[in-house]
Amino acid sequence: MAARDQHGPQAPWRGEFRVLTKPQRKVDGAAKATGEALFTDDLALPGMLYARTLRSPHAHARIRSIDTQAARALDGVHGVITGADLPQSYGVIPWTQDETALATDRVRFVGDEVAAVAAVDERTAEAACALIEVDFEVLPARLTPEEALANPEPAIHHNERRPGNISKHVKLEFGDVDGAAAQAAQVVEGDFSFHGTTHAAIEPHCALARPDADGRLTLWSATQITHYLHRALALVLGLAPEKIRVIQPCLGGAFGGKSDPFSLEFCAAKLALITGRPVKLLWTREEVFYAHRGRHPMQMHYRTSSDGEGHLTGVDARLLIDGGAYSSFGLVTTYYSGQLLTGPYDFPSYRFDATRVFTNKPPCGPKRGHGSVQPRFAFEVQLDELAERLQLDPIELRRRNLLGENTTTVNGQRITSNGFARCLDEVERASGWRERRGRLPRGHGLGVAGSMYISGTNYPVYPNDMPQGGVQLKLDRSGLVTLFTGANDIGQGSSTVLAGIVAEELGVEPEAVRVVAADTDLCPVDLGAYSSRVTFMVGNAAIDGARKLRRQVLAALAQEWEVAEEEILLAGGRAGLFNGDRDLPMREAFVLAETRFETLGATGSYNTPTLGGDYRGGTIGASPAYSFTAHVVEVRVDCETGVIRCEKVWIAHDCGRALNPVLVAGQMEGSAYMGIAEALFEHHTINSRGLHAGPSLLDYPLATSVDTPELAALIVESIDPEGPYGAKEAGEGPLHPSLPALANAVHDALGLRLRELPFTPGRVLRALRSQAEAGS
Amino acid sequence: MLRLPPFELLRPSSLEEARSLLVEHGPGARPLAGGTDLLVNLKLGSTEAQTLVSLAAIPELCGIREEAGELVIGAMTPLAQVAASEVVRSRIPVLAQAASVVASPQLRAMGTLGGNLLLDTRCQWINQSHFWRAALGFCLKKDGSKCHVVEKGKRCVAAASNDTAPALLVLGARLVVLGAQERSMPLAELYSSDGAQHLTLAADELLVEVRVPLPEQSARSTQHSAYGKLRRRASIDFPLLGLAANLELDESKTVRAASLAAVALSAQPLSLPKVAAALLGVETSGAQLERAIVAAGALAQRRLKPLDNIPGDAWWRREMVPVLLGRTLRAALSDTGPVNGDPQ
Amino acid sequence: MEVLSLKVNGDTRCLAAAPQATLLEVLREELGLTGCKQGCDKGDCGACTVLLDGQPVLACLTLAALVQGREITTIEGLAPAHRRRCAESPCASKQDKLHPVQDAFDEAGALQCGFCQSGMILSATALLQRDDDPKRETIREALSGNLCRCTGYTQIIEAVERASDEHAGREHRPRAWEQPATEPAGEGES
Repeated sequence: MAARDQHGPQAPWRGEFRVLTKPQRKVDGAAKATGEALFTDDLALPGMLYARTLRSPHAHARIRSIDTQAARALDGVHGVITGADLPQSYGVIPWTQDETALATDRVRFVGDEVAAVAAVDERTAEAACALIEVDFEVLPARLTPEEALANPEPAIHHNERRPGNISKHVKLEFGDVDGAAAQAAQVVEGDFSFHGTTHAAIEPHCALARPDADGRLTLWSATQITHYLHRALALVLGLAPEKIRVIQPCLGGAFGGKSDPFSLEFCAAKLALITGRPVKLLWTREEVFYAHRGRHPMQMHYRTSSDGEGHLTGVDARLLIDGGAYSSFGLVTTYYSGQLLTGPYDFPSYRFDATRVFTNKPPCGPKRGHGSVQPRFAFEVQLDELAERLQLDPIELRRRNLLGENTTTVNGQRITSNGFARCLDEVERASGWRERRGRLPRGHGLGVAGSMYISGTNYPVYPNDMPQGGVQLKLDRSGLVTLFTGANDIGQGSSTVLAGIVAEELGVEPEAVRVVAADTDLCPVDLGAYSSRVTFMVGNAAIDGARKLRRQVLAALAQEWEVAEEEILLAGGRAGLFNGDRDLPMREAFVLAETRFETLGATGSYNTPTLGGDYRGGTIGASPAYSFTAHVVEVRVDCETGVIRCEKVWIAHDCGRALNPVLVAGQMEGSAYMGIAEALFEHHTINSRGLHAGPSLLDYPLATSVDTPELAALIVESIDPEGPYGAKEAGEGPLHPSLPALANAVHDALGLRLRELPFTPGRVLRALRSQAEAGS
Repeated sequence: MLRLPPFELLRPSSLEEARSLLVEHGPGARPLAGGTDLLVNLKLGSTEAQTLVSLAAIPELCGIREEAGELVIGAMTPLAQVAASEVVRSRIPVLAQAASVVASPQLRAMGTLGGNLLLDTRCQWINQSHFWRAALGFCLKKDGSKCHVVEKGKRCVAAASNDTAPALLVLGARLVVLGAQERSMPLAELYSSDGAQHLTLAADELLVEVRVPLPEQSARSTQHSAYGKLRRRASIDFPLLGLAANLELDESKTVRAASLAAVALSAQPLSLPKVAAALLGVETSGAQLERAIVAAGALAQRRLKPLDNIPGDAWWRREMVPVLLGRTLRAALSDTGPVNGDPQ
Repeated sequence: MEVLSLKVNGDTRCLAAAPQATLLEVLREELGLTGCKQGCDKGDCGACTVLLDGQPVLACLTLAALVQGREITTIEGLAPAHRRRCAESPCASKQDKLHPVQDAFDEAGALQCGFCQSGMILSATALLQRDDDPKRETIREALSGNLCRCTGYTQIIEAVERASDEHAGREHRPRAWEQPATEPAGEGES
């Protein structure tokens, strides 16, 4: 679909922003601060039943039979379902629908869902699960991608097009990579590994389904993709979409971990339909670890070539991706692992060869910085090695390779605004880089890294030519403006950003805007909170809609006052003239508009322009705008213990325009925190028995307030030509440089090159010992 | 959510009543202190109890008092209170330090000193849900017959993980226990080397109080103590290794008495008299000190062999023995404990 | 089942509960005080933090039957208690809807998803009760039993500092992003 509604950075009114670009409180801030905000598990309905799930104790097994008789006979049990009740397969990506809500004939990891029970309370449901007898034929489990590739049978999924446990293979080449390497003055080559981490949002997944009296079904769920869930429910339940309503209540964090349709949503819905009663299914923390969809473990080989001055000439990557038991977003992950590396540096040749492999472990998926955090780690560490070889300052090396603005990457992605050079300036200045790097005492170091990320992608997960983002607006004589949007506020504050845009356009106070979000019955379709798309896409849709209403209000006022529309100022909840001659509360302006135009309402929508390279997969990773980030990380490493203490992270992020700097800073800080914690603490790991090594928030250690470095958010604005008022994303990009900048800081501190994550004290200490041996 | 299994809850208001309830209800009854360990294990199913006898309403179990040269700390005194106590901080700082690094602020407000001493042993194969342990095939600490840490092991090697135990060991603490009769015993005798049965208390015995001899304060002798704890995060986590040191120096700053103890290794918190002996007679103001610390570290490393029982890298934990020992000793001598994992 | 009498947010509430009922279950499922959150099942995350006689504890590891007679404060109790105090004391000029700590969290952006925030705000409130001008280190330590996955704690710490500054009538400390930046390098301008 052709580009439309390109609003650009300029506001149509004279003067300054009055709401946007200022720190604004969140629309739901007070409700969250007082405990009034309702999350899915906070909802309770009359007659509600509670459900629990029976899971596989085997990493790989065939189900011979399931006997649910004893469970059904238990007092208090109202419904028992197995795979036979929900046989329709699904998956968030239409081409790889390899999941079922409950196992039909196979279980593929310890924790895979087998049956679900609805009962009067959780204890009874749990007891009933224990009474279900499953006859398993245990199959060999493949716990590493190497093992899975070496043992194609018994296949984890039967797929004639992709045998051998291969989930997805992508190989793309741009320019002459081998030629570049052959002619390069410098070639840096090495292996890197990323270990696997998970989202660990503090709110566990929860779904509540109600069979409505009118024959419809309502599902409340802790999801970040209401629309895709809506489609998946219709498919799996065999119901017409108009019979299903999906609502996302307040969401307690997601980070990509709630962007697949999950077993519990189908099970709650099916059990509600069977029993005729509302059914709630809340996962335990342990079950959340099995749901996973976290960051993929990757084995990465990189070869980077440059000329003698450090200008990059080629990048060659080979990636082995451990997908876990199902596809999830894996097709996209595999593309992203290569497609998103081609900035913020310019290089004329590039090849990546990425293979995602099925293993008998919880499925991996999209986690904040989907698919690109791992390659970015490897590449940015390799750039540091190149700088070291060339005896160049690592920031200088990066400056020599700037991609710049209004250009195209080697793989055909269109770059518009680009503030990366200023990001480098900012972190260099704020960290005292020039004075301090390389001059700190042994054990203390500074490291830098950069990155680029998408502001949404022009690739909806199912192909269609409908808008990617939409809003509806209603305003009336009460003075209230209501914005209806399918966009999921998952804590990042999208509803606040959208309310701010509407308030700015219509000149009302932010408090006079109510946002109704993520309810499929009430709101126009939006694709969901993923790929950092909401501010950019739905923000533009909100401008589109709000301007239609603004024009009506202005027209009514112009007629009433007999002035030109250009003379009218709508601001701060009042309508008046720029020269101060008129002044009216906005409510009265709305009365005039409603009188003249009758009932007031407007829609707004957004679709990306045509983007992407002209090759298979060329649209994956194509975004209407890219954000850019640079980090400088300061570390202190203990040479006796191998403990790395991250002291401070300076995060400079080009978010286009900061529509609400508090929210932008919060995203930057939260991203950097998560990246540092992934590098130092977290490890989503399956042990040799196929069991999750520690499916709890004790054993999977989230950094606490005393483990988290000082985080300095330095906002850089590049005013994107197509973003809403020039805005781009801020929620995912700022995570990427954390890991390589930390690794590079350790190198500055000790001369140690860490290529394997996470940087546990034991691993660092071993490296220090090897370094000492090599040196002696 | 994970919920507690059903049990009977009894709330005696006196020690005698508590004891008689324990006798009456037999081995299925367990005393309940702060609940931060027992309730977790009950939720996970790694422990069972038919009856919980809450000690919360027994006033004499709570409080800190001086009595005849001893500090007497009631078993139900919250860890936060122990950590904040002026007398504990000034006279026996190692205990205040150890109590201050247990878990998190909330858990220290709830958890008690007695509860920490009686903390169940921990292992990556037992501190898991029933589902998880069933998938594993259970282990010999509970419901199974196999040890997953030591191949063909017949004795459970789950690790003592209580920070206050080594602190109290180096202080020479004694426990007052109420059974059929009241008895007093050295803390070390509380523990056995079997991780599945790590306490020597009978099922109907109650830990009443901890008695710590207060060091003499004089110009001729000073006492210096510290606790060192390694953990992944600087809050919440159990120790990956814990070391307590208590040194008595004479007026010439020479070590006259030394005691050391460690935790997070095997089922018992371990006293380390032989390692401590290497410090005796050492002049702490001179170059001799560092040599003695290295020697003690080497001894300790030979003696202490971390296993793959608790999560974490056993090799690293073993390498950390001399490092943490040295740091804890230096912190003791400079009165700057506790030692944490922060880079130095 | 036993009839319990609990003093929650100043009100005495009677309800029937099983011996194994945790305070978390009772607050959420019997009293409808769903501001108290459940995140980890077993004392690892701090989302269920409530104040017991003013001190932060974990409701998921507290048996409801054992806290009868104690003052239980949940997130829902903070603002009403604050408003009562404002009404009672004539010198109070500001009678905001929110308790000052809640207000500071809202203002500072400390609330992203909000799921950990009720526990976090209660831990922060207890801290400011005993130390109205805490150092950053003290704030970090006092909140170290409350996991937040969204913020990286920075805006939470800033919120506590803001509440403290507000209380003392001091100016707010500038945040990193409020510091002046370098001049644009001429790139990316439209």
